Amino acid sequence: MTTVSVKILLFATLRSKYKTRELTVACNGTLLSMIESAAKLLGPEFIDDVYDRKKGKARNDMIIMVNGRNIKDLEGEITLKDNDVVAIFPPLAGG
Amino acid sequence: MGKILRVNLTAKSLNVEKTSEDVARKYLGGKGYAVYLIYRYLREYEKAGTSPKDIDALGPKNVLIFATGPGTGVPGFPSSGRYHVMALRSPLTGSIGSANSGGEFGPFLKFSGFDMIVVEGASETPVYLAIVDGEAELRDASSLWGKNVFDTCRMLMDKVGGKNTSVACIGPAGENLAYMACIMNDDHRAAGRTGLGAVMGSKKLKAIVVSGDEKVPVAERERFSEVSKRCLDAMKNNPVTGVGLPTYGTAILINIINTAGGLPYKNWQTGVNPDAEKISGETLAETYLISRRSCWGCPIGCGRVTSVKSGPFQVLASEGPEYESIWALGSSTAVKDLDAVVKANHYCDEFGLDPISMGSTIAAAMELNEKGCIPTEDLQGLDLRFGNSAALVEAVWRTAYKAGFGKYLALGSKKLCEIYGHPELSMSVKGLEMPAYDPRAIKGIGLNYATANRGGCHVTGYTVSPEVLGIPEKIDPIKAEGKAKWVKIFQDFTCVVNSTVNCLFTTFALGAKDYAELLSAVTGWKLTEDEILKIGERIYNLERVIINKYGFDGKDDTLPKRLLEEPMPEGPAKGQVTELEEMKGEYYKLRGWVNGVPTKEKLAELEIEL
Ligand code: SF4
Repeated sequence: MTTVSVKILLFATLRSKYKTRELTVACNGTLLSMIESAAKLLGPEFIDDVYDRKKGKARNDMIIMVNGRNIKDLEGEITLKDNDVVAIFPPLAGG
Repeated sequence: MGKILRVNLTAKSLNVEKTSEDVARKYLGGKGYAVYLIYRYLREYEKAGTSPKDIDALGPKNVLIFATGPGTGVPGFPSSGRYHVMALRSPLTGSIGSANSGGEFGPFLKFSGFDMIVVEGASETPVYLAIVDGEAELRDASSLWGKNVFDTCRMLMDKVGGKNTSVACIGPAGENLAYMACIMNDDHRAAGRTGLGAVMGSKKLKAIVVSGDEKVPVAERERFSEVSKRCLDAMKNNPVTGVGLPTYGTAILINIINTAGGLPYKNWQTGVNPDAEKISGETLAETYLISRRSCWGCPIGCGRVTSVKSGPFQVLASEGPEYESIWALGSSTAVKDLDAVVKANHYCDEFGLDPISMGSTIAAAMELNEKGCIPTEDLQGLDLRFGNSAALVEAVWRTAYKAGFGKYLALGSKKLCEIYGHPELSMSVKGLEMPAYDPRAIKGIGLNYATANRGGCHVTGYTVSPEVLGIPEKIDPIKAEGKAKWVKIFQDFTCVVNSTVNCLFTTFALGAKDYAELLSAVTGWKLTEDEILKIGERIYNLERVIINKYGFDGKDDTLPKRLLEEPMPEGPAKGQVTELEEMKGEYYKLRGWVNGVPTKEKLAELEIEL
């Protein structure tokens, strides 16, 4: 698999917990490899904060958007491309 | 059942009547009961030969209703510190007037001895209404006239004293009949939309002060304690109502809506704001936040106490701005200086203006001005360019006092854009400026804006919840298919919430079944989930019958041309327009409406007696 470079943006409590607004990681294009690469910089807890290892997919309560589209609205496996922007939000609301 | 106070300001009369159990069983309270009363008023006017279309929103025939519901002020009823205000007509839209507010006024109105206040007629001189321990009195308000909201609240609080005292009032904007004037209570809380502050101003009713400690009845105490505990636990354990809203307030939406490509920028020319981060909830929390503030009885506490510590836009202590205010005053105007947005929002509270309509009208004026449509002499030195922070702040106070160009801004964006020959630049539905979500990126909310009875409104049916936030389940925001059923159910359920009256934000954690159980325990009636949704549908349909009488129908259930014809220029929704007709057809079918008018069969099914 080729290596791609992805920009990750963190928001709300994730931003304050990891004291990071954005980071760029290299990964093989799967969501898990992106998260694992980010965890190398942010700390291992990051994986469980956004990923459900038992189910082998992103945590259902997290809002993960690739180039502005929620991964739940995208069909099939997520394959990240070079320069994709992945925004990660904890559950939130307003009005 | 409780009591309703009927005040006639022309005759200076005060009458007390019983809240009707029959009406309450069909329409609950709050908004539902008020809609019922409004319909009765219209029928009376029709019988007397006055067409509803001829009722002047700022004339004595308009009626203003302050309404609580069976849940309001009940300790343990989730987030029940709210009240609903309605008027026969809005000066901004000509449609029904409707707005909702938190703080303490709602429950304290109930503690003062009344479920509702109905205000008819108009006074010739300024008055305020005082209700203390069940005794109501109209008093001279000439010394309050001209005072801003904070001074009015403070002076009346001092005068009346006692515990459980709260003031709802208008500021200079309401007195000067600015069409987007709101009714403020407890300093910073607003019954914001549809210009009800101007209706109050036209009646020369400066304020209502309520005080008392009457207990609010609960029919089945034990059952209620049990249901209440379960619901409050659910809210505490819910990540949104337990963590997200308490930590960041509503402003946390700026970044996510912008990421989804739906944060209107520069009067909706696009849905992507390159400076969103600068005006985001995260920035507000890092730089401006002093503390949280809750409405009465609310475990969520989404209110923000904020300050701008120094500089030209210094504000020592304010509240907000909420997501909607930041968007309207900041994103739609392209002002990226959050200091200025906080100040403009503070002025909206101080003078009594709806920040959504205010910001959106300023944004429309900025676009008109940049296109060269406003003669320099009309602007009188107001430098209305996108991104101009100083002009934003100046435009707000000018509107409240109708000073200089403020007299045009005070008409709202629809009339403003008509005057300057570009009605299509008013980003409004039925004359009400739309809130902070671009339907080209979030389709369901577009259908909701188009079909909302009071005009361009998000909280009539907040489908952003499933479309972007994934609550209660995730649906794709840029797909039009299947949105009609979501819009309908959200609109019906919201009628239940606004008739309860408690806070819509509870619905991020609680569903119709929870509401049925809470309401059953409080009232002693056996209400099922289906029954309360039918009540909600009944309220929505009767409200629709009312606006039909003003001449609104399917032709008005529409969106500004920009959202229907101009493809979104960038972001994840690039190339999208709003497929309104397709969604609307499906929606009317589900509603049992033809061209925006409920059929006889539908009204009969909902047991609406005309
Ligand atoms: S959630 Fe916010 S707006 Fe709603 S009642 Fe609580 S504090 Fe007030």
